[in-house]
Amino acid sequence: MDEANRVMRHRLTGRLFHWTTAICFFVLLATGLLPVFGINFNWLTPHWIAGLVLIVAVLIHIIRTFQGHHLRYMWIGLKEFITSFSHVLAVLSGKYSSPAKPGKYSVAQKVFHFGATVVVLTAAGTGIMLMTGIDTPFWERDPYFVSESVRGWLFALHGFATLISITMIIVHIYFAIRPEKRYFLRSMINGWVSRRDYEDNHNTDLWKEEKD
Amino acid sequence: MPMELLEYKSNAWGQRVLEGVSWDLVWIFLAAGLMVVVVHSIYVVWRKAVISRQSRNEFSTESMDG
Repeated sequence: MDEANRVMRHRLTGRLFHWTTAICFFVLLATGLLPVFGINFNWLTPHWIAGLVLIVAVLIHIIRTFQGHHLRYMWIGLKEFITSFSHVLAVLSGKYSSPAKPGKYSVAQKVFHFGATVVVLTAAGTGIMLMTGIDTPFWERDPYFVSESVRGWLFALHGFATLISITMIIVHIYFAIRPEKRYFLRSMINGWVSRRDYEDNHNTDLWKEEKD
Repeated sequence: MPMELLEYKSNAWGQRVLEGVSWDLVWIFLAAGLMVVVVHSIYVVWRKAVISRQSRNEFSTESMDG
């Protein structure tokens, strides 16, 4: 497709962040959950390494967000929330009307991102605290850094974040591969969406085309 | 028997201490994800039917007007 018909959605740094996060999640879930199902191996080292990589990636993402003013694209305005909520209520009552075109991200995508933020920050925060109990090249273990009861709650919160992420990953992959949403997945690989997808599916006043 | 949210263990002093989340919940969260997939798939089929009915009605109204 020629340049004139492409609209930039995700720059290279954003795409690298997404796929780094995806690989980290895969490693974290595999190393965290396979032993639960009786598949035993040396899971701890790849688990904390993937966790640290994810934390570094998230920190870079947070800095980028505030530097590049990307926050406005993710912010859920009261008006758009009410509009979306009314649409959901209408659908639930059996009446369908076309929803208003969103800006760069739909309310559903923003809500998902907010949920993912809470889950990742919970898993990362509790994970760092739990790492004080194991030896790494960066520090020696201190089993008394947190009390036994606090450690139990840290494990519980870490576990709940893991469980919620299972549901979120299923939902995320489902929407990524749905035919009408597949242009989002393509944009997470190529960086751009076609002008047709941009104009057909988005409010071009709310999502202004980025110029290089 | 209701499913437990948390798991407990006995420590070296025989006290009951929190161990973490109950991993039996994995199946519930897995099922919740699959439930979203099923419900949304049904919604998409319903939406297609409504849109096609609406466009058929519009077409027949236009034909009568014409």
